[in-house]
Amino acid sequence: MKQENVMIKINDVSMRFNLGIEKGFSLKQGFVDFFDFKRRKEKKSRKNEFWALSNVSFKVKKGEVIGFIGSNGAGKSTLLKIVAGVMKPTQGKIDVYGNICPMIELGAGFDMDLTARENIYLNGAVMGYSKDFIDSKFEEIVDFSELREFLDVPVKNFSSGMVARLAFSVATVVDPEILIVDEILSVGDIAFQGKSEQKMLSMINGGTTVLFVSHSIEQIKKLCDKVVWLDHGVVQKIGGKEVCDEYLRSVGAV
Amino acid sequence: MIKNILINFKKYQFLLLQLVSRDFKVKYKRSFLGIIWSLLYPILTMTVMALVFTNMFKMSMPGINYLVYLMSGLVIFNYFSEASNLAMSSVVSNFSLINKVYIPKYIFPLSKCLFVGINFLLTLIPLYGLIIITGTGVNVYHLLLPFVIVCLFLFTVGVGFILSTISVFLRDVFYIYGVVTTLLQYMTPIIYDFSIIPEHLQIIFKCNPLYWFIYFARDIILYSKAPSINIWFYCFVFALGTLLIGILVFKKNQDKFIYYV
Repeated sequence: MKQENVMIKINDVSMRFNLGIEKGFSLKQGFVDFFDFKRRKEKKSRKNEFWALSNVSFKVKKGEVIGFIGSNGAGKSTLLKIVAGVMKPTQGKIDVYGNICPMIELGAGFDMDLTARENIYLNGAVMGYSKDFIDSKFEEIVDFSELREFLDVPVKNFSSGMVARLAFSVATVVDPEILIVDEILSVGDIAFQGKSEQKMLSMINGGTTVLFVSHSIEQIKKLCDKVVWLDHGVVQKIGGKEVCDEYLRSVGAV
Repeated sequence: MIKNILINFKKYQFLLLQLVSRDFKVKYKRSFLGIIWSLLYPILTMTVMALVFTNMFKMSMPGINYLVYLMSGLVIFNYFSEASNLAMSSVVSNFSLINKVYIPKYIFPLSKCLFVGINFLLTLIPLYGLIIITGTGVNVYHLLLPFVIVCLFLFTVGVGFILSTISVFLRDVFYIYGVVTTLLQYMTPIIYDFSIIPEHLQIIFKCNPLYWFIYFARDIILYSKAPSINIWFYCFVFALGTLLIGILVFKKNQDKFIYYV
């Protein structure tokens, strides 16, 4: 395998979350903990920790479309967040060669008080686009979202479907080398769903490397060349579409 | 490494701009006068202050205009207080973003300091109006004022970094800082003359960087003289020192923010 063909190299990545962290350190808890020796010991032995990912390793080649499957809490989204740079892994190393377009949660950068027009610029900036770039793509974004007549309406007055359409249009206007998609193909009405799937397919055919999380096995089978099955943070299996069937058998869906 | 930081900063420069302009848009949304409020508000506050302190409390200072004394201090303190407060909550209130896309996190406190900074520059217009109306006059040393404005900005950014980091781990800081700001306001010679402070306590007041920034500005505005070298030194050291500590604290902890969402 040639080195330049590898887009993402995930090497022995583990991610630990500390479940106790939610409580934070409040004075009351600190006081209780101080006298509760058993708990103190427990804290020291770190029983509160939770490994969302353990020792995950694989490589992604240019142009590959990889689907991630697994039950809720299997670590799929965590893995995508690590690839996107939102989180740093507790252990292991991750190398990404190429620019990433993360579509983890659409519309994350929207300010509900601003108009659609203002939000296109704001959200574009959040995704790291330049002003010139957004200027040049503005018409394309508006056309794709089919929201031209609502351009100067504050987004808080939009329906959730309209927000999702706007967000999808902003996010997909780039031609990224790596596209990260977390369960977003079901945005908008049926017509827009078809359109967004078309857009995805054209990106995939254009040679974009895609990491794709979905609970729709059908979608995964249709789009992906390679499937990674995660279970409790561990890679169960990496392979072709047959992994999907194995997964379905294991959860008793077939 | 520095090259990487600069490339990264350039890439997100537009985001910084967008965040600042977002703040302006949201701030003046649905207000009839809009951005004019940035000018009108300080003018009205000044009027109230002028009425209260010169008529009710009969404050005055020999040889200088008390109103200019008061306002020059207040403008500086208000910038610090407002910017550091907004910067403090900026990381926490943008958690939904931090959790989903990669953005350099320092951009949030920095954008708040810039946003309030633009407002601060606008309040200088009524301040200069006052300086001219009261006959205090403008002199050549006013050209030195940008130095202290930059120092004030860097100091505030540093404090903003520190506070926004602490606020992620310990939300109590929102309440504590409210009290600290009030204390700081009285420990900064804004409404009173510094000479009324007992000599043995003066050293504590001089540990307050804002004291030096205001001192610098007043030397120029009220006494028409260039600040002495040690005032320059204190301003510079406090600003740069706080900024460096802020950057270190923020950089060391920023990867942990995500666990405290």
